Amino acid sequence: MDFAQEQAGEVTIVRIAGRLDSSAAQSAEESFARVVGAGTPQIAVDMSKLDYISSAGLRVLLVVAKKVQQAKGKVVLFGLVPNVREVFSISGFDKIFQIQSDAASAVAAMR
Amino acid sequence: MLGFVEEIVLLQLDDAKGRFLELPLSAAHVVLAGAAVMELAMQNRIDADLDRVIVVDRTPTGDDILDDVLQRLAEAGELSPASALECVTAHAGAYHERAVRRLVAKGILREQDGRFLWVFRTRRYPVVNDSEQREVKARLRGLLLTDEIPDPRDVVLVCLIDACNLLGLVLSPHEIEQTRGRVAQLSRLDLIGQAMTRAVAEIRFTVRHAASPAY
Repeated sequence: MDFAQEQAGEVTIVRIAGRLDSSAAQSAEESFARVVGAGTPQIAVDMSKLDYISSAGLRVLLVVAKKVQQAKGKVVLFGLVPNVREVFSISGFDKIFQIQSDAASAVAAMR
Repeated sequence: MLGFVEEIVLLQLDDAKGRFLELPLSAAHVVLAGAAVMELAMQNRIDADLDRVIVVDRTPTGDDILDDVLQRLAEAGELSPASALECVTAHAGAYHERAVRRLVAKGILREQDGRFLWVFRTRRYPVVNDSEQREVKARLRGLLLTDEIPDPRDVVLVCLIDACNLLGLVLSPHEIEQTRGRVAQLSRLDLIGQAMTRAVAEIRFTVRHAASPAY
């Protein structure tokens, strides 16, 4: 899985690509932990290049969401491909996360 | 800290009677299988998606029950979540016995006149230390009564407690009614937990209808 980040004002845009499964979970968790870091995180996660997410990947995102909530920050996901969206829908993760179609909507949703 | 298997065995023990709660036996076995499989997922030995459960690391955990389950799943190859649970459920009776003996050996349960009794009578929550018990109970209550985002282990615990109809250990009857939607939402968050909840619901449905008059 590839992980990249860029800053758009106060919002950190994280781009994850490939497969978020057990083999990628630990490095993804560490990378997200650095982004959540200090302060009040505002994170938009670009998932448009994420092809696959497993149970282990969902747990990584759940931990991120919990840490962001505890820090009184916000995390918004965008660009989910259909099979990942299906996993979110069936698992109820679409009720945990705010999901937007693109980066602009995700950044706007932070306000 | 106890694993989910020991935890769910303890939670199903009615200390007053020294006997295990009367879940339909097959449902109790599915829950125990679910506890083992979800524990292996937490320990990064297996992974799952909507269609399959995959062994991703065969390294033994050091827990004889989990290692037995891991080996069975590895030998079975790729299975659907429901089939993986079935594969483990077939051996759950033996795992239950082993878990009880282990709890006795750890000094958490004692056996007396054929009955099992808690050594620490008030212990109903996931850790042995008293202060941690209170903390876990408070955390689960907080989780169920608010919109707090759960951590993955709490999701599994909610799945297991709900599947065994043991929410009363944490909530009042009124709170159980209030939190039905929340419990259902949290129970969906773990894909293996979902399969377990469905299997237990099917068993309950079958038992209920088998017990009803046919006219």
